[in-house]
Amino acid sequence: MPQPAHTENPLREGLTSRAMPDPCSIVIFGATGDLTHRKLIPALYNLAADGALPPALSVVGFARREKTDESFREELEEAAKKYSRQSLDAELWSSFASGISYHRSAFDDLSGYASLAEKLNALDTQRGTRGNRLFYLAVAPDQFEVILENLRTSGLNVASEGSWSRVIVEKPFGTDLPSARHLNSLVECAFPEKATYRIDHYLGKETAQNIMVLRFANAIFEAMWNSRYIDHIQITASEPLGVEGRAGYYDKSGALRDMVQNHLLQLLCLTAMEPPTDLSADAIRDEKVKVLRSLRPLIGDTVFTSVIRGQYGAGAINGKPVVAYREEANVDATSQAETYVALEIHVDNWRWAGVPFFVRVGKRLPKGGTEIAIQFKSVPPVLFKAAGGTLDDNVLVIRIQPDEGISLRISAKMPGSSLRIEPVKMDFHYGTSFGKATPEAYERLLLDAMSGDPTLFARRDEVEEAWKFVDAIRAAWVTRSDDLAFYSAGAWGPTEADELLRKHGVAWRRL
Amino acid sequence: MHEPPSYGMAVEIGHIDRELGRLWDSSEDTKTRASMINLVVYTEDAAAMAENTQRIAAIASEHACRAILILADCAAPESSAKAWITAHCHVQGNGGRQICSEQITFELKGAACGALPNIVFSHLDSDLPLALWWQGEFCDPLDEKLWAWVDRLIFDSRAWNNPASQFALTEKIANLRDARAVLCDLNWARLYPWRFALASLFDSACALPSLSRLTHVEICHAPGSETTAILLLGWLAAQLGWTSQSLLSQHDWQSANGQRISFALVEAPGSDLSHVSMIAPDATFEISREKDFFHLRLKPLGMAETNSTMSVGRERVGDTLLAELSRGGRHLLYKKAVVAAEPLLSALPRRRDNG
Repeated sequence: MPQPAHTENPLREGLTSRAMPDPCSIVIFGATGDLTHRKLIPALYNLAADGALPPALSVVGFARREKTDESFREELEEAAKKYSRQSLDAELWSSFASGISYHRSAFDDLSGYASLAEKLNALDTQRGTRGNRLFYLAVAPDQFEVILENLRTSGLNVASEGSWSRVIVEKPFGTDLPSARHLNSLVECAFPEKATYRIDHYLGKETAQNIMVLRFANAIFEAMWNSRYIDHIQITASEPLGVEGRAGYYDKSGALRDMVQNHLLQLLCLTAMEPPTDLSADAIRDEKVKVLRSLRPLIGDTVFTSVIRGQYGAGAINGKPVVAYREEANVDATSQAETYVALEIHVDNWRWAGVPFFVRVGKRLPKGGTEIAIQFKSVPPVLFKAAGGTLDDNVLVIRIQPDEGISLRISAKMPGSSLRIEPVKMDFHYGTSFGKATPEAYERLLLDAMSGDPTLFARRDEVEEAWKFVDAIRAAWVTRSDDLAFYSAGAWGPTEADELLRKHGVAWRRL
Repeated sequence: MHEPPSYGMAVEIGHIDRELGRLWDSSEDTKTRASMINLVVYTEDAAAMAENTQRIAAIASEHACRAILILADCAAPESSAKAWITAHCHVQGNGGRQICSEQITFELKGAACGALPNIVFSHLDSDLPLALWWQGEFCDPLDEKLWAWVDRLIFDSRAWNNPASQFALTEKIANLRDARAVLCDLNWARLYPWRFALASLFDSACALPSLSRLTHVEICHAPGSETTAILLLGWLAAQLGWTSQSLLSQHDWQSANGQRISFALVEAPGSDLSHVSMIAPDATFEISREKDFFHLRLKPLGMAETNSTMSVGRERVGDTLLAELSRGGRHLLYKKAVVAAEPLLSALPRRRDNG
């Protein structure tokens, strides 16, 4: 991925660490929330500890609760101790925390934004943040509108000359195409597209970034990356967890909107896209949009033959009994929300004609993991007939999480006088080869947003094209309710999902 | 020299591969062999071997490798060659999987030292790059066969007794026919956090113009770390386009726009480098090192001072080497820095004598 060449500092030359972003103030809306504590502050601390943040960086927490700067910092220190990938160093924390302050206001109180503007101006003078602002909307989507509107009304969206003002928007970016368009237009009223950063933390993961490197920096793969050699592709995101306190949101959203519309379609795009003309943000995103536009629409009855939705019933995870989805706290006892979805997707372009992409995501599955499996076609069944049995096809697996890495299954002769062929796996583990912990996705994404590099963020048209695809499925679902399949918690989804692949003569991979 | 137990299992040189295979077969646990490079460490100091083995173990836990340790005593009257094998394993993740790197140790005496290239060539893990860590001074004439195979040549110019001639020899190695070795001076690698911290002082648009207006640079270094300070100064000069102006007598440089820049290298107890200050008419930039932290100070004329703290990072030799192996790439700036610092480096022995 490109590093923005925004520095003329000759001392930066040759330093593998990227140039430090401009000094700025980061305003976090929803500063007392889980995301701030678990992800944002630990990520910022890790960046500071790595020396990747400018000394003048300031963080302003914006939230409704009564707090002092001191109590806010103490809270964040505890969070950083708990969730940071690096252990907290008192001296470094003290230096980093000196730039943290708290601003109490309701999101709908315009006067709170006026006082925020005063505070940010004061920080510009006191700490040298030079009028640069990064607004992070770490809030529920129903708060976006009021915050964006108030940022606009108070003029905080407009940067002074030579400075910048940007906004980071957390998922879900809309609940369907009309709402996404509405949100986009709201954001557009306040911030231009180039200043809008729609976060999809999957794109910040090292392994997701490595997909392009794997494909385009290795001659052996890209030459075979097409319908001539590839039989089908499986993209899986499974987790043993249930709704874990997100029932209110999840029951309205479901797996399709929660995971497929953003994370999994992004992974599909990276897998299926053509090589971009260069590594600029727009060149890469142009190619991803082309993939989304090439998706064969799933509409009407095709939805019921190509998409399986499921919901977990009671079962067991790790040997412990767990309740059915409908019995979870804050879930409607007649809920139709899908906790599992499997799709057969076709990318109708020259490269992928006839290659199905099987995508599945589910909760309360036996094992957690996200991976992309490229299943290659069989060799002609001629030469090794005498060996008996069937040859296992080659599979290239890109493991996104956990145990990030790549493996390739090949066939090999078993030692011995007879010809017996068995599959063996060549494995590359990031952790084994590179040892040290890789940065968290949020670290990379925050740094990119501060540096003005939108490559790993979703562009407006990407989001809207993805919603268009997903909305058509949902439109079909509302016409029926009898297609919701049930599976026991701890099983690999409903049996109907197995049928989806069986008709192609293949089966889901065992993770 | 006696046989230290840390070398592992003694093996016949001709059977090393077979014995390595047995080492894996005999393991009761499931182990994963991993390797990203061949790391050959050459020393003539027997006392360094135990520490080298520990370093290899630490490096292998983050940068899997096939390690080959060579202890040479070329002046020994009798000729002998002995070998030992062992593996460094570490547990990875919650699953308890063991990841292992192999280590082969050779002890060469007398005429057997002449077999060094053969020993290296015949025990490399194929298709993986070869990093050779040469602990000590280089000798002329150079063995072209050996150097032509090296992808990364690691050395530490801080330890050299005669820096000027040794820098010249490394340059000669880099320019040998068929040579592909990237020169990796640990003395330069140690400067990375300093260079990073100094660069960060000038990242902001308001500080950047001061770089072209600097009038004085002062670097405080520990006794014995003068080459470290000189390399840093050479880097500044190369990056900022300064040329030397009778350095020995006047202690100054000249910028492209004719500005004179004086400098001072001040010996002070403490870490390799302890303080760097850079003065421009409109601002002063300082970095002080205290324990594991850099304290950065920017004092613009007539404006509030900006202070920040930055971690120095890990800096044991093994850590520096690890960072070097992880970074990869060629060190084009190092070459430029050495060229810029040449007048000062040439004068070093005389300075040491005087000192």
